[in-house]
Amino acid sequence: MSWSRSLDPSGWQPDIPIVSYSLDNGLKLFVLPDDTVPVVSVQLHYHVGSRNELPGITGISHLFEHLMFRGTETLGPEEFARILQSKGGEVNAFTTRDHTSYFENLPTTHLELALSLEADRLRALKLDEENFQTERQVVVSERKLRSVDSPFGLVVEQLFATAYTQHPYAWPIIGWDQDLRRLTLRDCLSYFRSYYHPGNLALVIAGDVQPEIAREMVGRHFGDFPGRSAPEALIVEEPPQRGERRAIFKKVSMVEAFFAGFHVVGLGHPDIYPLTLLAVILSGGKSSRLYQEFVRPGRAAEMQVELSPPPWTSQDADLLIMTAVAAPGTALAALEADLWKTLERLEQDGVEEEELARAKKLLRSQTVQALSKNFYRGLMVGLFYLKTGDASLANQVLGRYEAVTREDIIRVTRQYLREDNRTVVILKPVSPEESQRLGALA
Amino acid sequence: MAAHIPEVYQVRLPNGMNLLGVEYRRVPWVSLTFMAKRGSETDPAGKAGVADWTVEYLTLGTGRRSQLQLAQEVDSLGAHLGARGDWDASRLTLEGLAEDFQELLAILAEVVQTPAFPEEELILLRERRRAELAQILDEPRELASRRYYRLFFGEAPYGQAVRGEPESLEAIELSDLKSYYYREINPLAASLVVVGMIPFSRVEAEVQRLWGTWKGGGQPSPPYTSAPAKLCSPGLYLLDRPEWTQSEIRLGHLGLPRSHPDYFPLRLANYVLGEGGFSSRLMTRIRSELGKTYGIKSLFHFRRAPGPFTVSTFTPAAHTAEVVQEIVAVIRDFRDHGPTSQELAEAKSYYVGHFPLTLETPRAISRRLQSMDLYDLGLDYLQHYTDRINAVTLEEAQRAAQTYLKPEALVILVVGPAAHCRESLAALGPLTLIADQ
Repeated sequence: MSWSRSLDPSGWQPDIPIVSYSLDNGLKLFVLPDDTVPVVSVQLHYHVGSRNELPGITGISHLFEHLMFRGTETLGPEEFARILQSKGGEVNAFTTRDHTSYFENLPTTHLELALSLEADRLRALKLDEENFQTERQVVVSERKLRSVDSPFGLVVEQLFATAYTQHPYAWPIIGWDQDLRRLTLRDCLSYFRSYYHPGNLALVIAGDVQPEIAREMVGRHFGDFPGRSAPEALIVEEPPQRGERRAIFKKVSMVEAFFAGFHVVGLGHPDIYPLTLLAVILSGGKSSRLYQEFVRPGRAAEMQVELSPPPWTSQDADLLIMTAVAAPGTALAALEADLWKTLERLEQDGVEEEELARAKKLLRSQTVQALSKNFYRGLMVGLFYLKTGDASLANQVLGRYEAVTREDIIRVTRQYLREDNRTVVILKPVSPEESQRLGALA
Repeated sequence: MAAHIPEVYQVRLPNGMNLLGVEYRRVPWVSLTFMAKRGSETDPAGKAGVADWTVEYLTLGTGRRSQLQLAQEVDSLGAHLGARGDWDASRLTLEGLAEDFQELLAILAEVVQTPAFPEEELILLRERRRAELAQILDEPRELASRRYYRLFFGEAPYGQAVRGEPESLEAIELSDLKSYYYREINPLAASLVVVGMIPFSRVEAEVQRLWGTWKGGGQPSPPYTSAPAKLCSPGLYLLDRPEWTQSEIRLGHLGLPRSHPDYFPLRLANYVLGEGGFSSRLMTRIRSELGKTYGIKSLFHFRRAPGPFTVSTFTPAAHTAEVVQEIVAVIRDFRDHGPTSQELAEAKSYYVGHFPLTLETPRAISRRLQSMDLYDLGLDYLQHYTDRINAVTLEEAQRAAQTYLKPEALVILVVGPAAHCRESLAALGPLTLIADQ
């Protein structure tokens, strides 16, 4: 730790230092120097996610993420992870609707090793039928874990499939079971060629490194890839919803629940800030409206408003989701009716100044806490750049929340939390026998 | 001392409470934890959850303020107040912006020292826990782990869930929580851990002022330190969940306490067996080679008394028996031969290289301090940590594997659809069908 730094909170600035470079082959590099701890977070964000898929090959982005660990011309399966982990690294990857991200958080002394191995798997990934089949089985098991056997997994999938009729956010990131079984190695290789190249990559290095040194290292390992421009921008839109949609999903469950989704905005839209604050006013903290009205008295096991906050908000219009899990003995229909009444009251009476101030302080404090990690600093910059084209937005988040007024909160409530813009999926518990009569879960 | 290892401050207050702290400079944050060094180990029989409920109850009203007033105060600071019981300790954590340090410390003192135990909150807490439990029991992984510990330890302390069991929901009364508070929440067996952007001199002055004269109730219970005389017999057990598509598998035996001198050799050996992700033998065999699961892990749960050693995984139901057999074969082979010198070298360099990453945030540093204090690891623990890792020899790691892994003594529990796995499991040996609880 650099002991020269102040212990006075008033002198602290939230700015992340961002030094950006563009390589001739199209690769975009962001270096965020900070010498607090001798570690770096190396992040490769490829601009491809389930948003780029088509019906019939859903899940290919995520399956491909797995295949990136299955070896290269010189490394065996999983050796990539094993080598970097043995240096103390946290090595992993995740796929979202909009991007596929690979990261290594590790001691700075091994930064160059991480870059050389990342370049190696981009250049010389080796895929054969046997590897492909093994990994496909792993993903089928992962789908069962996350969706099929999880209490709400399939219900939330149903919500997205009902709320989105034309936009690719309709299908789950992990893909439909039958698509996973149908995908071929050839599909994956063609996907790799389309989306995995420097022109479609944002590389972030956050932590204890000088920007020029990082730039040289990246040049050494990624500079000689041939130049290719980014794939043509994919423009997809969900048409405005014209009336409430409702669906029922029956499964074995100890609880009754409903999930209500409202189409809102993507990360680049300024309304994401009042919407995020609205979600906090409704259910953030134990003094929030929904906690006090539903959870504290034990009417609901859960009553939560979820909207992925920046930088996690999706690129295109996201869903704000209200999750209500009835406590045993509470009627679900009454719970739903009361929730809509609470929203109506908010629309009519607005919010108190203190409520808004509380929500702002909560988001400020969450942001400050997250900025203690290189990993999060890197994500802020990388994800804002990828989804909006503007990395500097990462440093404006706190100011944007601060600027939101009580009128903004009422305006977004009226504009987005409308009945016509709402999709509700109800989880209806059934006995194991009835569940079996309804057919297999997939 | 390496530059990134923080200096740890410690002061013993006049009332016997321990204060530990680190000055943190990266972001203006502060993490405060009050840790009572008794946990659910001291829950009365049939009343699992008392320790955990008690610490939550402290946040539900004080002599000065109601639950809502407290929550509004905490939320208006953008802070988070959490209360959790654990096996060996019970904690209240309050985290927020460093600029609010004084208010935060005062709130935590008020909550811990002057609870009002408002009667009307009990019914609400009970309903919340009932709802939570209904949700938890729908989670395959949670359900399997809970059922496993209950099967393995029976009525002994580590067999009851920290958050409570279905039968304890009705059994716990307000008097249980009060008597727990007045017995176990005591400065003589408690610590306060402060990590944040505040000079320690100021921390100490404020803590002396707000906590120095607090007396607490009576004499805390003696800590729980030895394993129960009777544990579940080794064998194969099945709990039917006809509606699931996968089986959850838990297997293990009794492990070691945190104070055991072979902690480091065993930690390193277990990294190679099943804690080291893709570097581990179990992940390599069951996931990378066979593709039968998404994840598998082995863990020695080091607690004040010997905790369990467990392997946890899941697999599509048709593969259940095969996966059980493969896991046992991997453990047996590892017990017989231990890690190779390359595997041990990689395990060591993992822990040494990863060490600075575990000191990046105030919360992570606070956790380190809490466990140093709870298990008496010494104030210089962080300074010697990497030396202790590096000092482990191949012989020591191999001997640890040989001594502490017992593939012949495994208690194996499968929770899954019996129709799809019962027959093949029965072919492995005598199979006992068990009920929910």
